[in-house]
Amino acid sequence: MSNPKRCAACKSLRRRCSKDCVLAPYFPSNDPQRFAYVHRIFGASNISRMLMQIPVDQRAEAADSMSFEAKSRVKDPVYGCVAVIGQLYQQISAVQRELAKTQGQLAIYTAQQEQQMVSTQGYYGEPSWLGGVNAIQPNTFHFNQQSLMDLLRLRDNI
Amino acid sequence: MSASSTSSGGGGGTSGATSTTTSGPCGACKFLRRKCVTGCIFAPYFDSDQGASHFAAVHKVFGASNVSKLLLHIPVHKRLDAVVTICYEAQARIRDPVYGCVAHIFALQQQVANLQAEMSYLQAHLATLELPSPAPPAPPQHLLLSMTDLPSSIAATFDLSTLFDPLVQPPNPWAFQQRHMDLQQFGGGGRNPLAENISSAEGGGDLQALARELLQRQRSAGTTEPSPLSQPPSSPQP
Repeated sequence: MSNPKRCAACKSLRRRCSKDCVLAPYFPSNDPQRFAYVHRIFGASNISRMLMQIPVDQRAEAADSMSFEAKSRVKDPVYGCVAVIGQLYQQISAVQRELAKTQGQLAIYTAQQEQQMVSTQGYYGEPSWLGGVNAIQPNTFHFNQQSLMDLLRLRDNI
Repeated sequence: MSASSTSSGGGGGTSGATSTTTSGPCGACKFLRRKCVTGCIFAPYFDSDQGASHFAAVHKVFGASNVSKLLLHIPVHKRLDAVVTICYEAQARIRDPVYGCVAHIFALQQQVANLQAEMSYLQAHLATLELPSPAPPAPPQHLLLSMTDLPSSIAATFDLSTLFDPLVQPPNPWAFQQRHMDLQQFGGGGRNPLAENISSAEGGGDLQALARELLQRQRSAGTTEPSPLSQPPSSPQP
């Protein structure tokens, strides 16, 4: 017995929509554009075949991801959803740069605090950044003179 | 896939272009077991050696006729990039039938979120030290809310081969369930998928090799202009 209300897939393909139509749960009749994208890029038979090879409880996610890929490819025929991946990589690079900058500032501040402690309190111990045996052990950072110079160069380059 | 020379062999003088390449059928026509004619749309991108296996994935996921129609609507100088991305999506879909390359997007999105959380923590720490914190980075744009303006900016600066770096393995699958990665922000479907199974990095090396091979052969054949995406990534923005 066919479903009186055809799904978007069966409506597009002009066929009867059976009760056990594989595509019906994922391509409702109120969103014909969703199936149109998928049909154009993957083809109805490929979509049906791929969905049938997937466990039922995962088919919704599969249909969603295929719809997304298809829509991306229609909007951008050259790069499709790979454009999103590219943008994400760029975003990651930008945030990593900011993170490094902020970490550098924090490290420099901590080093300056230590230096201040030595100079104002007349502390006889060596600052930790000299790395000597009497080094003050800061709570958070411990670096030698070389790493401090690297940090200062980083600050100058920021 | 190589930009193989498509010098025509003998053949009639009809305009039907019935002659085949001197190097044999391209990978696509080899796979489809059909005659590879001069001007075959797949020939520049699927050589007869490894192209057949690459094309097999594309045909399985998209279908040869769909890909052919897609390529016909793309300018010739952009087709190499299109083939690379189509091959990538096809291979990703075969490896992960549920999420395909969208799993890669989820993983990268998670990485962005982790980095931004770390950034927020550091900025809060700086604030407690009463230090002027650097200007916060631009708020993350919800990806593909406006899908129309993405491609050109990406194309100008992005090296396709880096797209196939091994996937980031999420530390905790449950984190994805709580995150509600909504494909709607990408203008996609209407559900909230839970990305529990993120593809591992095992397929990344093959895809990376595929992209580099395509780009390298295209450059060495010199039949088309180098793609903007064959350039190394631009220097970081100030």
